[in-house]
Amino acid sequence: MTTNGQMQDASQTLAGDDKLPGLLAKFDEATALLGESRDFAKPGKLPRVLDTARRVLLQPGGASALEFRAKALEEAGVFQGSDWETPQYLLPSLTTHALKSPNANTVVIEALSELRLLAVAKGDYVHPLISTEQAHHYLTQAMALNLWLLFGAPSEAERETQGRLAQIPRHLFHHLAERIGYEHIIDKLIEEIWRILQQRPIQVDAVKQMITQIAICQANPEIDLGVSGQGADRLVSSLFGPTQACREDPGLEVYRERLSSMDNAALQSEATGFARAMHDTGLVSAYHPVLLRHLLDHSDHLLTEALGLSSTGRDCLLCYRELVHALIRSAVHPPTPQAVYGLALMLERGILYQPPVAPAMWRQLGLPLSEWSQARLNLAFGETISPRARLLEGVLCMLGQPLGVGQGNNPTCQSARALSMWAYNDPDYLLQMVAWAARDDEIIMHFEGQAISSMESLGGVAHSLPMDLDPVSLIVVPHLDRIYAEMGRRCVDREGDPHRWVNPEFHGWWSGRGFRINVDVATGMLHEVDTFLRHFYASYHPYYNGNQPLIHPQPAGIAVTDSAARFIGWHAITVLRVSLDPTDVMRVYFYNPNNDSGQDWGDGIKVSTAGHGERFGEASLPFEQFASRLYIFHYDPLERGELAQITQEEIDRVTVYLYRSWGADRVPASDLQADAGAGPGHG
Amino acid sequence: MNKNPDKGYIALLGWSLNAIEAAENFDRRYIVVAPEWAEEYCQQHDIPHVSWNFERLNDRSMEIAETLKEMGVDVAIPLFEETVEWAGAINSLLLDNPRLYGQSLLLRDKALMKRRAQLGGIRVGIFEEAHDKGDVIRFLKRVNQTLLKLDGDPNDPIHLKAFDKAGCLGHRVIRTPDEVDTIPDEEFPVLMESHLDGWEFAVEAWIHNGKIAFLNISEYVTLGYSVFVPASPELEQYRPQITAQIEKLIKTFDIEFGLIHPEYFVTSDGEMYFGEVAYRPPGFKVFELLERVYGFNAYQASMLVFDPKSTIEEVKAFFPKEVEDAKCYAGCFGVYPRRRVVSRLEIPEEVEDDPYFESHELTTPMEETVTKRTAFGTHWGLIYFKGEDPHRLRDLLKHQEELDFYI
Repeated sequence: MTTNGQMQDASQTLAGDDKLPGLLAKFDEATALLGESRDFAKPGKLPRVLDTARRVLLQPGGASALEFRAKALEEAGVFQGSDWETPQYLLPSLTTHALKSPNANTVVIEALSELRLLAVAKGDYVHPLISTEQAHHYLTQAMALNLWLLFGAPSEAERETQGRLAQIPRHLFHHLAERIGYEHIIDKLIEEIWRILQQRPIQVDAVKQMITQIAICQANPEIDLGVSGQGADRLVSSLFGPTQACREDPGLEVYRERLSSMDNAALQSEATGFARAMHDTGLVSAYHPVLLRHLLDHSDHLLTEALGLSSTGRDCLLCYRELVHALIRSAVHPPTPQAVYGLALMLERGILYQPPVAPAMWRQLGLPLSEWSQARLNLAFGETISPRARLLEGVLCMLGQPLGVGQGNNPTCQSARALSMWAYNDPDYLLQMVAWAARDDEIIMHFEGQAISSMESLGGVAHSLPMDLDPVSLIVVPHLDRIYAEMGRRCVDREGDPHRWVNPEFHGWWSGRGFRINVDVATGMLHEVDTFLRHFYASYHPYYNGNQPLIHPQPAGIAVTDSAARFIGWHAITVLRVSLDPTDVMRVYFYNPNNDSGQDWGDGIKVSTAGHGERFGEASLPFEQFASRLYIFHYDPLERGELAQITQEEIDRVTVYLYRSWGADRVPASDLQADAGAGPGHG
Repeated sequence: MNKNPDKGYIALLGWSLNAIEAAENFDRRYIVVAPEWAEEYCQQHDIPHVSWNFERLNDRSMEIAETLKEMGVDVAIPLFEETVEWAGAINSLLLDNPRLYGQSLLLRDKALMKRRAQLGGIRVGIFEEAHDKGDVIRFLKRVNQTLLKLDGDPNDPIHLKAFDKAGCLGHRVIRTPDEVDTIPDEEFPVLMESHLDGWEFAVEAWIHNGKIAFLNISEYVTLGYSVFVPASPELEQYRPQITAQIEKLIKTFDIEFGLIHPEYFVTSDGEMYFGEVAYRPPGFKVFELLERVYGFNAYQASMLVFDPKSTIEEVKAFFPKEVEDAKCYAGCFGVYPRRRVVSRLEIPEEVEDDPYFESHELTTPMEETVTKRTAFGTHWGLIYFKGEDPHRLRDLLKHQEELDFYI
């Protein structure tokens, strides 16, 4: 996929070569008109400059040409009257938002500002307001914060909002990185990669792409990385040379030959090398499948070693030996290396011991895929491997890493959450769903006794078919999304929030039928916050529910806030467990279908993904902080805890967080009057 | 720019940044007469100004004329249709010529204007005022009777226009009596005209001392959508006839100075029909096109011909030679969203990549639902093109009508 993107870029380069001089002439003319005009008339001349700049930036070499013109541009008044006029106050963190904007002018003026700072950083432009060092620092931060622009192709969501515009930030950042030097951003990048990998996502293509970029930088003698990039060794080696026999990345064919002449001790060393790399990073090298397939003809002991299994996993492998062998033969190929990791973790979970799972896996092995499913898989992942192997890889990964499911850039958090929950809690049900969707192109679920077919339902939440997903989600989510939306439609006449009825029917019987929401659906105002919190504490907090650990994963709703604690939107998550972390803080551990759970929700609430007792893929927050962002939860009405013991002080600590963030403008008028009435001299 | 105290002191009626900028860069002293909301902006940017509410003429109307006179202003230039009669009233005092006010009223009322043209021996279509829907139906029937249409023959359309609005605002085309029902009552009274099959074009003529100083022909590719200057050779071949028509117009309306912007039809047999005339800068940014083509600033041109202190030599030296001195052809296209729901602006690649494409003034949509277009409506912004070949430019402008800019 990546090479495709790069090739497209290259072809645009060739076609575009002759356009740049003409565009620059137009650009210089527009800039001159802006420069000559009086201050009051500049706003009228600016659009032409920005629009021409946009076209220049789309051309190869365009960014460089504009960097060269930075001083003239600023003097002509491009930034006059805007925040960009005072570069010393610009915040690198705001660049992301500006560059993702659907408004072309915003993207362009941000790009022009960065190019101006580049000219300053390189010493070509002595700026009255910002020093060379400041400019350099700013750009380094901006690049590290926007690494996705350096290495990722535009996501579908970006294409949808930005169209061709999405190319501009990419061209810009490639230019910036070349001029500033990759060495300054590489450490930041490595940190970021480790942070993401700690969450063990199923989809690792983007991460692999970033690591590949680092490897390319390291191998390029013209790029001086200096002392940076040290932490990249483990990442790069895990992909390109995790063991002695493939250290120098010799190619799959050579490696296969080397294996054929190895004795048991050498194979053992290869097996442990691969296993260590895989479990260290969650990434699997393309060499790993070669070894695994080779070992099928040797011993199960070496197979266990190569998968890095503990005694649990080993028992499971030995117990279901035939099935595991069949899975390796069908799913584990060099183009599907992550299947190895999925398989290893699935065995470790011991879920094959649940009676229906092993037979369901056999069904999956022989499952005929519908034409539609095959076409979707080929379209999304290419045709280097059969769609069936691709889907099987996806199934193994989802069963092995149930918390690694991501929703991509799609509004389908509900469906992603359901898949994750089934993989976690009800694996054979998940396999059933995959079989229906992939083979029959139809899923039928029941809502209060009435059958709902994904084929007959109208549209889902997502407007277009999502493509940026793992193989299982790619096939199943479109069905789930339509069913979920249909269940919602069947509740439109009911008073209150439809999740009350939809969640248990959609996710499974274990979703509590007790339901609490602290927002009045009709007005959007907060509603009975204290009662809501008391019930949440009584149901979930071990100090108030009789020290009962959470039994089943429960769907919950979060009011997501940004780093300034401003409300962004409602989001579906799963509460997984509540317990004390290593420092004796009571934390809620939860699953967030968003692709990166490590988010800053503002007001000091930073969602942690590692270092506080989290398992792979879990996000966590101290109980109070979590409660302050919660707006929906389910509970078992028959297993309520001790409401009375919760102190008001404890509740107040939560509500303070709530009123400082998404609840700030949701306080109902009646409360306000009560407050105001208490104040002296009012009215 | 340094101002020449020996030349006229000019008042600009209405708010136009382009006009102010032109005045700022011209050697005449000037003052902007604009609504109160512009006051802060003017102070901020040192723009000489007087606040005035143009909403309606009343007994205080002479006040602005007196104020300007006391300041030593020599002449007022209307920038918009709504300020034309204000300019007439003010100039009749400043220039001590009461007839100018009457003239401006004539130029503001489309029905009066047509009658006057008819009296002057200028060919016009059939026209009448309508006060209600019944009038429209009667007129539609009568026009088609005159054309010897039989029952069941498709009607020739008629055109409805507001008496006193600029350009295409409120312009409707009516073909059947059913369509009459779609006209809101508040739009009455209106002017009704028979449809003229022919080639519609507009003229911008700067008049000094009762004579044409510069005459531009603007060719419409599609009315309400696109225009380019100078006109194609096919239309320019009528220049002598067009010049004669303009001279007739000057005489009929007794115009001594200023900028006029009339519209005509030329039928296939070369006959010119007068549509209407405005005493103000044209819409659709023809001024900007002229600047691209000829290099002179059309606002400055207007200030020059309005200024009673301009000399004939000065005027002669200012203007280039029509068509001969044109550096290229320049045109613009007014974009209307074609879909009912739009989410963003995306200029089609073929437009952007066209070597004739220059720039655009389109902005990101603020609302997703497109208001249904009644009458001709207002475009969402202009796209500018320029190039060497008038026919390629014309075809290009025509082609834009089939493209989506808002999706």
